Amino acid sequence: MNETDFRKRIYTNPSEPDSDLLEAARGNPELSKILNETQALDQHIHSVMSNIAVPTDLQTKLLAIPNSADSDQDESLALQILADKPAANANYFQYFAIAASLVLAFGIGFSLTFGPEANPTSAELAFGNEVLQHMYHEEAEIAAINSGEVMPTVDMPMIRNAMAPVGTQLTSSSSDIAASVKFAKPCIIIPAYNSAHLIVQGSQGAVSLVLINNSPVSVEYSVNDERFSGIVIPMDKGNMILVGERDTDFAEYKKLFSENVDWII
Amino acid sequence: MSEIPVLHGSTKKERYESLVAAFYQDLFRYAIWLCKNHALAEDLVQETFLRAWRSLDSLLNDKAAKAWLFTILRRENARLYERYRPELVDIDGQSIAESDETEPDFKMDHELLINAIKRLETDYREPLLLQVVGGFSGKEIAEILELNNNTVMTRLFRARAKLKIEFGLDPEETDEN
Repeated sequence: MNETDFRKRIYTNPSEPDSDLLEAARGNPELSKILNETQALDQHIHSVMSNIAVPTDLQTKLLAIPNSADSDQDESLALQILADKPAANANYFQYFAIAASLVLAFGIGFSLTFGPEANPTSAELAFGNEVLQHMYHEEAEIAAINSGEVMPTVDMPMIRNAMAPVGTQLTSSSSDIAASVKFAKPCIIIPAYNSAHLIVQGSQGAVSLVLINNSPVSVEYSVNDERFSGIVIPMDKGNMILVGERDTDFAEYKKLFSENVDWII
Repeated sequence: MSEIPVLHGSTKKERYESLVAAFYQDLFRYAIWLCKNHALAEDLVQETFLRAWRSLDSLLNDKAAKAWLFTILRRENARLYERYRPELVDIDGQSIAESDETEPDFKMDHELLINAIKRLETDYREPLLLQVVGGFSGKEIAEILELNNNTVMTRLFRARAKLKIEFGLDPEETDEN
């Protein structure tokens, strides 16, 4: 058996070589070396894979599937139960009612920093306008949300999938937000940077949360056109832009998303 | 032939619990290579077992359980994530647990190996990991990947040849015809 034939057969399954291959290797140091190296490579691969940490609570979540899946045949709901989420019909209005109550109870006030003192550069203003222009690409979805149409379910994997390229994720305690997301998609709004576009249903209509992993802007500022208004907020490793219909009050949204979006990269 | 699962118990729930115990770790470790993200891999495994639970009655041959689960996993990945697959791969030092073998050069070997596996084309990486990690035979891999057996053999050969070239164990790429 020549070396090429030996390689062909050993490389396809080195862990269980046929007896004629073992026999050939016994009488030939070169073939024996190929066999040993290939088996060692497989052992290394196996070792690397075995050392990948598996989440400690994953088995518990999987074992809970029969209980949650049988109680509701809706798959997305079952997943939400797995992730310790509240019922899927928890709506955004309820969330903001609670949030507003907390604000009143604790006397917490919010103010946005944009205004006369804010002084964004022309490049930053152009960036904000680019984001506003992007809203028109999703105008159909925004209109559907504003009109109260039943939208396809957006589950947590879809949200994670949209946010992951930007290096962001919702915090583990943000299940109320996740339940209210009506649209989630990764986008390219400005070249060379990843963006995530999530739309939630707010009390004044659809509100877009756009996350972009470009350099944080120097100052928070507002942007407007004839249809939309928004604010551009610098964050740790990128920018968060909130866009809604004209005259939308973004104060609570800003607090909500600032506290519930993690930049993990 | 991959290991034969032992599906203890006679009720559907007991069979399911045996499946989880036997295979969830291998599925997660394979999933992380498929969807390239720790959180997505966890979601993918949950989706896989949710579907497995709902279809468990259709699994007539327990010996095929592992291949059945890996097939579900791949289809769920295609359905849920492939379209928007993130480019990042978080299989790195944080994902690899410390082991008793972590002497400096051994760990360096692992990092080099992870990077070499990352660089493999998906067509080569998938059958290799199914064989080494999943313990599947060539025939089982062919069924999971919906390929013919010869194609699987060729890809396994090329996967190992490429890795060995990366580590200087092969002088040059040997074409398998």
